[in-house]
Amino acid sequence: MTESRGERLCLSRRAFLLSGGTAVTILALGGPSEVFGQGAALKVVSYPRKKIGRVSHLKPDQPIMFQYPWKDFYSTNMLVKLGVPAGGGIGLDQDIVAYSTLCTHMGGPLAGQYRGQYKVLGPCPLHLSTFDLIKHGMVVAGQATESLPQIVLETKGDDIWATGVMGLIYGYHANLAGKA
Amino acid sequence: MAKPVSYSYLPEDRVPLPPPDAKVHTTACDYCIVGCGYKVYTWPVNKEGGPKASQNALKVNFPVGINSGKWIAPNMHNVVHVEGKPHHLVVIPDGDAKVVNVGGNHSIRGGVLAQKCFNPSKPSKERLLHPMMRVRGTLQAISWEAAFEVMAGISRHVLDRYGPSAWAMKTYSYQYFENTYAISKLAFGAIGTTAYAPHDKPGPGPDTPGLDWAGVDAFSASYEDWGEAEVIYFAGVDAWETKSVLFTTWIMNGKNPNKKLIHALPRKTTGAAYGESRGGLFLPVIPGTDVVLHLAIIRVILENGWEDKEFIEKWVSNQWEIDSGFGRGPRNTPVEWFTTWGRYGVGFADYKKWVLGYKYAELNTAEEITGVPAALIQKAAELLAKPRPDGSRPKASFMLEKGIYWCNNLGNTTSFAVLGLICGAGNRPGRVISRGGGHQRGWMGGADYPRVLSPEKFPGRRKKEIDLDRWVVDGHVRFAWVIGTTWLQAMAASQGLMEVFEQMTRRNPHQITSFDPKIAVETLKRRADSGGMVVVDQDIYPVDPIGTQFADLVLPAATWGEEDFTRCNGERRLRLYSKFYDTPGEAEPDWRIIAGFARKMGFKGFDWKDSNEVFEESARFGRGGVLNYHPLVVKAKQEGKRAHDLLREHGTEGIQTPIRLEGGKLVGTKRLHDSTLRLGPPEGPTVHPRWLTSFDTHTGKAILLRSYWEDFQDFWEAVRPQGDELWVTNGRINELWQTGFDDLRRPYIMQRWPYQFIEIHPEDGKARGIESGDLVAIENDNVLVQTGGYLGVDDNELSFTELRKAGHIQTTMGSLNAVAIVTDAVRKGVAFAYFGFPGNPANAVVPRVPDPVTNRYRFKLGKGRLTKIGESPYKHSFTSMSFAPRTIM
Repeated sequence: MTESRGERLCLSRRAFLLSGGTAVTILALGGPSEVFGQGAALKVVSYPRKKIGRVSHLKPDQPIMFQYPWKDFYSTNMLVKLGVPAGGGIGLDQDIVAYSTLCTHMGGPLAGQYRGQYKVLGPCPLHLSTFDLIKHGMVVAGQATESLPQIVLETKGDDIWATGVMGLIYGYHANLAGKA
Repeated sequence: MAKPVSYSYLPEDRVPLPPPDAKVHTTACDYCIVGCGYKVYTWPVNKEGGPKASQNALKVNFPVGINSGKWIAPNMHNVVHVEGKPHHLVVIPDGDAKVVNVGGNHSIRGGVLAQKCFNPSKPSKERLLHPMMRVRGTLQAISWEAAFEVMAGISRHVLDRYGPSAWAMKTYSYQYFENTYAISKLAFGAIGTTAYAPHDKPGPGPDTPGLDWAGVDAFSASYEDWGEAEVIYFAGVDAWETKSVLFTTWIMNGKNPNKKLIHALPRKTTGAAYGESRGGLFLPVIPGTDVVLHLAIIRVILENGWEDKEFIEKWVSNQWEIDSGFGRGPRNTPVEWFTTWGRYGVGFADYKKWVLGYKYAELNTAEEITGVPAALIQKAAELLAKPRPDGSRPKASFMLEKGIYWCNNLGNTTSFAVLGLICGAGNRPGRVISRGGGHQRGWMGGADYPRVLSPEKFPGRRKKEIDLDRWVVDGHVRFAWVIGTTWLQAMAASQGLMEVFEQMTRRNPHQITSFDPKIAVETLKRRADSGGMVVVDQDIYPVDPIGTQFADLVLPAATWGEEDFTRCNGERRLRLYSKFYDTPGEAEPDWRIIAGFARKMGFKGFDWKDSNEVFEESARFGRGGVLNYHPLVVKAKQEGKRAHDLLREHGTEGIQTPIRLEGGKLVGTKRLHDSTLRLGPPEGPTVHPRWLTSFDTHTGKAILLRSYWEDFQDFWEAVRPQGDELWVTNGRINELWQTGFDDLRRPYIMQRWPYQFIEIHPEDGKARGIESGDLVAIENDNVLVQTGGYLGVDDNELSFTELRKAGHIQTTMGSLNAVAIVTDAVRKGVAFAYFGFPGNPANAVVPRVPDPVTNRYRFKLGKGRLTKIGESPYKHSFTSMSFAPRTIM
């Protein structure tokens, strides 16, 4: 709980080295005032890299929908510039985040439920789960048994790339598995 | 403490699927009253199923559909041992369920059940694995045999020298029929102690006396009824926060999804906000004043002639029926011990006359006392009772919980019952009066509480059940056995109680220094004889402080999934909770531990081989009752089956008690007092109590009870906030269960609620310089505690005013700290914290003065002075604790 930034990164790197595989990378999703340890480090085996938008096109609190990691119904996500720094946020202000829009309770549709005033997604129309987009999609109030899957983002110049998913997307048994 | 905090919670992005040959068990949730049906899959770790329906045990294609009830979230998976070998475990809501959690709905609590199962590489590794004795200050493993020898040795000494009421038990009242049957058989039958209390109150007895005396069973409703209602009044309860699936499946949906919801609470919860957004009402009531609110609504209804006259004529007792002794009400309570000289029970005409002339029922007075605007009170009366132009009435139902019955136990519940009855509720589809419920119903009494021996008595009446905490504090207990409850944090003025325990246990000079049971017993005898107390704590985890600091013996219990158990939910639905994995370490189910001790004591009748034998034996003790499952046991015998196995055949659907036989088939009972139920002659072992089809009184008619604010006012005035104090009320929150005993071992839940919190209104926050995320001290230097005052002879002797005059009320102190959440969801002047967060329970600032008639604590009436300590580490964390509002709709 009291480790410094340096020690934390060190741990993550050691964990990375121990895990061995060359296809495994670890992404640290630190916000400006936050340091992440294992809690936010993500093992990505082979998520596709996909360009999903441009920083200069985003307006605060106006979400843009995109598909990732696949092109099916389940891979529906929302990209939004929150206007305040967030866990896993990218961009100069660390405020650009992306999340799956299927509720992790029972798959209810969260698209259209973004509340910019509070930086939450929800309540889900099915059973009223609400998720905090500042805090890695943590449940604010509700029945979901997982945080909302956060899409791992990177920027390259003005381009925004999706490079991974933190958490299992509703409906799947494995984000990277073949479908029935 | 201001560094950002990160819980190492790493979400998984895959979950292993059960292969087609995985073992399937049925069970129900271990937690809240709703008891959703669950399926459990176990299979060896060396294999996995595939995403095609033919490749997995769920027989569905992955990815699964929206709302399919077939998705396995990673928190629904764990690895456990089955017959000594590592197995995958999936615990998932039953997607095929047709009752309770229809279609596999679930709460966040039930959805993470798998994480409670013992896994040595997860936080559940903290389970207790061995019986332990505190030798030279340290808990160390001993054998079960040695543990029983020490317990029996000291017990014999205490019973011989100090009598049975110096030998105390404090246990859960709900953790399965098999265990509670064994507990009660031992405590009340073999030992005969009066020093017993269930986990959530100071002694046995009814929680909602107003309902009982009116003739309404507290769990008479069926979940279909809440679904069918057109308007529901929620008193001191939000079903969304505390019984999620009852709300999301039955109240948001059910037969009538467009129902209007009225919530009377000091803080706006998620369910209250939902109700308000759909044409319902939120009545922001000042803690402890609900009786006045109820009376004001009743008065508006009666002034307008909106009461259900036809129902009242047919189903409400008149004066003669009460006075002639046919009522079961305040004149003739459960054992007809309650003499009130006409003060409470009254016919409709007299009730109406009384309430119309009662000053505290007057609208403006009510607004002043309750803080609820008169216009809202009037609107509530309209929604509940105003007939439509065609003369038809809204189907009104009424749900209550601890928010009202742990404030003003008697007055709030009697007035609540009247409100429901005059609206025509209590005995028909969609029109019910019931508790929402907290935990499930798992009490089966193997013997009755020996009330006649109790030290407590109210003036003019027979004995009442004990207040065990006062009994301990006053020094009457020498041996205490705690099973499955924190005891101290869960009780009022909890810190003062802890101090007493500390003095009587580890501060006592007589501490065990030898593993030799005989020497240990001699030491503990000296402890008892010096005024100290011996404590045994039996639980699944180390419980701080009762187990970790005070107990001389700590015993490891087996729990959900580790033994076949049975229990009922809030609509009295009986299910088998299957054993599906190995008991950790040397842990044993509670019934078996009880039996081991009892045999050591030489008591007869504790020789059960398995939990099914306990279940079968217990059945005849519930025959006349609401939870009657005796016909199931008889039927099983006829079919040559074990009763557990016959119940297992009923899967997650189970069967609603009381169970009856019709045409040789087992039939459940949907609702109690059911005026639409037609019964033939009782068949075989079937029992037909009158209350199946009418109210639970001698006449079968309900009883209206007068409720007096004056009965409570002196206490309320004494505990209300003064100066810059705030009410510090408390309750539950959706994401946590009970005292968080399992939640503390679930990283997913701990990232959400890593610490006690306190909701505070923005104006109150501003005045104290408190922002969301700040760590706040909450201190009450006026925690009132009762000592003595067991026997009342003269009329008013046990009223708060008289107790105080007689020197029975003392002032103590209590404090906790919590992370502030500034929100206008809570009303100004009121703060709200989690009732039993383990390290810093809100019960620390709650008075310990029980209702003099019913011996129920006023848990919800805490208060305190709030000051900022500094910023909590959660204030700027991105990974722990959310401060977003819960009321966004």
